[in-house]
Amino acid sequence: MEITLAGAAVRRKDARSKVTGTAVYTDDGRTPQMLTAKIVTSTCAHGLIRHTDISRAAALKGVCAVLTGADATMLCGPLLADRPPLAQGKVRYFGEPVALVIAESDAAAAQAALLVEVEYEPIRPVFTPSEALRPGAPLLHETLGAYKKVVDEIYPEPGTNVCDRIRLIKGDAQKALLSCHTVIDAYYTHPPTDHAALETRAAQARIDGDGVIHITTSTQAPHEVQKEIASLFGVDMGKVQVTAPFVGGAFGGKAGVDLEILAVLASRAVGGRPVRLANTREEDIATSPVGIGAEVYVRLGADNTGKFKALEMRVLLDTGAYTDMGPRMARAILADCTGPYNIEHVFCECVTVYTNHTYATSLRGFGHITSTFCIERTVDKLAASLRRDPAALRNINLIRPGDTAPTNFTVTESTLGNPEACLEGLKKLIRWEEGPIRQEGKFVYAKGLAMIWKTSSSPPDAGSSAVLLFNDDGSVTLQVACVEIGPAMRTTAAQICAAALGMDVQNVHVTMAVSTDAAPRHWKTVASMTTFLLGRAILSAVEDAKKQLRRLAALSMRCASEDLDVSGGRVSRRSDPAQYVEIKSICRGYKFQHGNTVGGRVIGRGSVTMQNLTTLDRHTGHGRAGPYWTVGAQAVEVQYDTTDHSYRLLRAATVLDAGKIINPEAAHAVVRGGMAMGLSQAGREGLEFDPSGRILDSSLRSYKVMHFSQTPEYLTQFVETPNVEGPFGARGIGEHGAIGMPAALANALSLAARVSLDELPVTPEKIWLIRSEKPL
Amino acid sequence: MIPFDFAYFRPDSAAEAVSLYQELARSGMEPVYYGGGSELLTMARVGNRRFGAVIDIKAIPDCTAIGEEGERFYFGSAVSLGAIERSGLFPLLGRTGARIADHTMQQRITLGGNLAGTIRYRECVLPLLLADAGMTVFTNDGAQSVSIHQIFSGRLDLPTGALLTGCSVSREFARARHGHVKKTKNEKIDYPIATVCALETDGYLRFAVSGVHENPFRDMALEEILNDTRTVPRLRADKIVEELRPGAVSDVYGSSEYRLFAFKRAIMEIFAMEREGAMV
Repeated sequence: MEITLAGAAVRRKDARSKVTGTAVYTDDGRTPQMLTAKIVTSTCAHGLIRHTDISRAAALKGVCAVLTGADATMLCGPLLADRPPLAQGKVRYFGEPVALVIAESDAAAAQAALLVEVEYEPIRPVFTPSEALRPGAPLLHETLGAYKKVVDEIYPEPGTNVCDRIRLIKGDAQKALLSCHTVIDAYYTHPPTDHAALETRAAQARIDGDGVIHITTSTQAPHEVQKEIASLFGVDMGKVQVTAPFVGGAFGGKAGVDLEILAVLASRAVGGRPVRLANTREEDIATSPVGIGAEVYVRLGADNTGKFKALEMRVLLDTGAYTDMGPRMARAILADCTGPYNIEHVFCECVTVYTNHTYATSLRGFGHITSTFCIERTVDKLAASLRRDPAALRNINLIRPGDTAPTNFTVTESTLGNPEACLEGLKKLIRWEEGPIRQEGKFVYAKGLAMIWKTSSSPPDAGSSAVLLFNDDGSVTLQVACVEIGPAMRTTAAQICAAALGMDVQNVHVTMAVSTDAAPRHWKTVASMTTFLLGRAILSAVEDAKKQLRRLAALSMRCASEDLDVSGGRVSRRSDPAQYVEIKSICRGYKFQHGNTVGGRVIGRGSVTMQNLTTLDRHTGHGRAGPYWTVGAQAVEVQYDTTDHSYRLLRAATVLDAGKIINPEAAHAVVRGGMAMGLSQAGREGLEFDPSGRILDSSLRSYKVMHFSQTPEYLTQFVETPNVEGPFGARGIGEHGAIGMPAALANALSLAARVSLDELPVTPEKIWLIRSEKPL
Repeated sequence: MIPFDFAYFRPDSAAEAVSLYQELARSGMEPVYYGGGSELLTMARVGNRRFGAVIDIKAIPDCTAIGEEGERFYFGSAVSLGAIERSGLFPLLGRTGARIADHTMQQRITLGGNLAGTIRYRECVLPLLLADAGMTVFTNDGAQSVSIHQIFSGRLDLPTGALLTGCSVSREFARARHGHVKKTKNEKIDYPIATVCALETDGYLRFAVSGVHENPFRDMALEEILNDTRTVPRLRADKIVEELRPGAVSDVYGSSEYRLFAFKRAIMEIFAMEREGAMV
């Protein structure tokens, strides 16, 4: 048997079904009896619902039910229960669900949706955090103080639009800034963006005769769906069964519980019949949650040698109409606010603010795209001000083992990785020694850098588990609940299992769909933590299975189990591998010569949680936000046209400290994908609203995602500093490709155009606007 | 999902299509002519457009023909932008169409749809305006050939129910030296901030513009300014910009001032192409 190692190139197990188009996604699984639900959305960004008339819609042939807020009196939300699944008396964003039509056919549902009449009494809307914080600003949530806290550590301020505020204090930044040689003051903005996954969100639900709720959904978190639905509908968790088939891209946008609630409400309204609900692209952008926007004030001070001395940062997060994950992203930003630099004095305040935008949820990078943009632009400004090489200035300030992270946690080589090696690797990769800028005719060629880091910012008790079953032929079926959202995670899970068991990955089987019935709980497929958390659970399950196999083999081989090894589909004597017993002959128990059998079937069990993590202190931000960091260095090279301010992306480079690469192709691909997403956010993406709060770019005609033909040459490389607690030393890399791209692009273009680009996305018009004050 | 019912017809001749249109209109069916469907279907899906009947013109030979007709080249209104580019008959029209939407959509979007649709840029009209195209319009009275200048003023102005079956341009114009410059917000595949098409005939530069104003246009008075060799190109461009300022559009794609800037850059690039002999 060929043994698959960690680090071997393994073809993803879903390759054939994806390439041939036979992979099944949520809304592909339609049955003839299935009804269709359609959301009626608000045409008003902020207003009281004066009157709702569903009579015409309900009377339409083929319509089974029409629900409004009165039919769903629950409130939901992962941190603060402030969101009604269907608006109750008030709407807070354009696109908010106000009614739900359930009908026999797609056509009837679509027609009926147009017949629901809602009358609004508009309230003045607010669209930016700073506007929403102004005294006298209209309130989105009058009863903020009455909402149930789902987690303890969230601090809403009733009577305002603040749903959470948290501070980090390390040293005395205010005082230290006074004695700095140079201080850079800057203000940055990042608009809300869309996840723009290829598969729009979809969910199906039915309630069987025994009251079991069956849900199939496009989710990153089937077990969270199970928990939330059970809690909202008041049933035992065991009576909620959730299946997550292939997910066509998620990027954090499918980590919450949204459409599932509406699908269950719909099914309940029609006696449990199966109902499907699938977003159109326009609903996916305007109605379902988006990526968070921000306004950020930064002050960075350095001494005359360029050493960063103090950082002051005030982050106003635009969480939109509902809290959702906003405050958790605030903590993620807070925990990593300095970037991978050693700064003695830090003050950071993150205020999560309601506005009349579509509510925000996690999006790849979990706030780090924004915070990295702010820090790395500021570092470039400091370098320019001190006339220092931006790479050299970064290098002398990098955080190193023994230094303390912003949350006052001392880092080690294992928890941190090697940022310096990443930066040095990057410099070679993009030929930094040739210089960051040169001009040829009307074109300026420029390179911009960004250092990145990110830890998990997960709940301290986030965990994962794995069950390993042996088939009669000795092959293994691995039951794990990570969702296949794109990066071949389920293949990687099988590879980790195979490597630990000493088997061929071809003989380790995983289903692609996840069912909460069969697979043991995994927190969520998020936070670049799946390889780490699930990998550890798999390793522990493998150890458990090996112990059982050795015990059974010891009976057969009449030796101590300590003298046996499991590898290559066999259990063999350490001292003489020619003496062995095959796994397939013992995995059902050991059978003596006359048929007596002992031991029973081998089942490997593994279960882990995060260790030693703490919630961050509300007033100081101190604590431990994640088990380790993944650090990296990124760069973008552009060709800037001085005549019209357009630019082309020539090359984009990333060097990440991945700890240990398990599947190289998959690793490079996920980093390239992240870079593409980051570059698209950097130069193109941003939701635009008219003065009344209507989204102007709610279709892919106007919401531009970077076209494939516009992508640069991607250069990706890895440094491997083992994370000793990770499976084979691995660190997560799922989000990191995206994080520094906007910063690196803005740095390259700021250099090329000799302007300061502090607002995302960076478009030619913005460059022109700043440049137009200067003569061309 | 299109949230309303509609009837589908596919007539075999323009005469049949036109009489069908009138019949359907009389019975309140609100018919529309249907080519590639890229605009009608997507707008109907999101509720921005309603119709009771579509008359698919892709079985009408006049609408699907493309090729040489004596000294002229003919392009049926149901011919796709992709087919026009591949034919190589009118390179400026081919290049203009090849910058509308992405490659997949270029195989669906038809010439007639681009000219008659509600998406306001209608960039395919630019080369036709420059080439003084002849348009074949079918009404109750049969086919009529009219100059594009008679029926296009910002948008196609045809009697209700009339069907544009195709258009033709002379070989001389189709093969004339030309330039095409398109400026977008940032993404290459996008609506224009400014698209300028230029065509040179007897040393005189014709040009037409989309994206800057609400509708695309060709303005002979502005062409006079463009060709006024008594002043330097930059000043000519500035003068045209001043003329265009009053009607310039501001929206999510770009402010009016930025559109004018982009337009000026486009004109300067056309001048540069002409100067360097880069117009092909």
